[in-house]
Amino acid sequence: MLRSALVPCKEVLSTSNVLRNLSAGIFGNVQLQDTQKRKQSTQPVPAHKPYSPFQVSRTNIGEYAMARLDDLLNWGRKGSMWPLTFGLACCAVEMMHIAAPRYDMDRYGVVFRASPRQADVIIVAGTLTNKMAPALRKVYDQMPEPRWVISMGSCANGGGYYHYSYSVVRGCDRIVPVDIYVPGCPPTAEALLYGVLQLQKKVKRMNTLQMWYRK
Amino acid sequence: MVIKYFGVDRFFTFLRTIRDAGGIRASLYKLYRFDNLRPGTLVGTDKFGNKYFENPTYFYGRNRWVEYAPQYGMEYDGSQVPAEWFGWLHYKTDYLPMNDPTRPKYKWMAEHTENLSGTPGQYMPYSTTRPKIEAWVPSKCK
Repeated sequence: MLRSALVPCKEVLSTSNVLRNLSAGIFGNVQLQDTQKRKQSTQPVPAHKPYSPFQVSRTNIGEYAMARLDDLLNWGRKGSMWPLTFGLACCAVEMMHIAAPRYDMDRYGVVFRASPRQADVIIVAGTLTNKMAPALRKVYDQMPEPRWVISMGSCANGGGYYHYSYSVVRGCDRIVPVDIYVPGCPPTAEALLYGVLQLQKKVKRMNTLQMWYRK
Repeated sequence: MVIKYFGVDRFFTFLRTIRDAGGIRASLYKLYRFDNLRPGTLVGTDKFGNKYFENPTYFYGRNRWVEYAPQYGMEYDGSQVPAEWFGWLHYKTDYLPMNDPTRPKYKWMAEHTENLSGTPGQYMPYSTTRPKIEAWVPSKCK
């Protein structure tokens, strides 16, 4: 699946994570405090951040070419992400605001698309009730494959105010896999736009072609 | 002034903007990075190297801006603006952080960190209680 085509974080295979995965027993994941990482300050990092997350050496021409093609593909994808509006509650009003001139999501090539067949990302904005859950899943299933989900607001993230309600899904990640969680009740349009930018960064790390080549 | 009446002074402003940005090549790079090239006065620089500009001839809401430090490249992000500059940049206050008399400074105040989501330093929530639900593991199609 393309969803798994994300570059793992550099330290996923380091010891602490291995320990964490091993210790994931009946009590779920328990985070091990790695005090060493906490202590070292992350203050002014002068290291230049390169454009591409794939720093492949030029000695292997195939890998290098695939990395650059991936950059191109991701550039195209992140430059025109069309969200499907899934406004469920008051968050939808803030979702309208980012389309309006003050925040103007069109600057980033983000244009609302009312059809799931032509949308790349679905913004779940608001309380997801039990009654709406099958509809959300159906709409998500109709989206074409490189697809992402932004969960917007406390209610969509984890039930929020209605967490203990009998008729509300406790987080839309029980229905669909979520990429970006935008906190807030409701999040400001600025926060949602920041979430979209974070999603663009995430899309930039996808290594679809490199995975295909390595296979 | 005749020059101002015919709008010729804008041409000089344009030339000055390019000169302030550091030449044609640097201006084009700035245009590529920020999608924006505009004249302004530098009001301050924070400890990360981000530069803060102001130009009151633009309308309110557009007249203060930040140009991120060169080491960030295209990976700049709103969370790289430290807390002391946030208020000025978002019109919460008109004081620059060095002139603000109400800004507390204590030794125990934490250093500003940018948003580390998507990097190895990201925050991962965890639970120490037994999970209340069992995830559905769908059977393989083939």
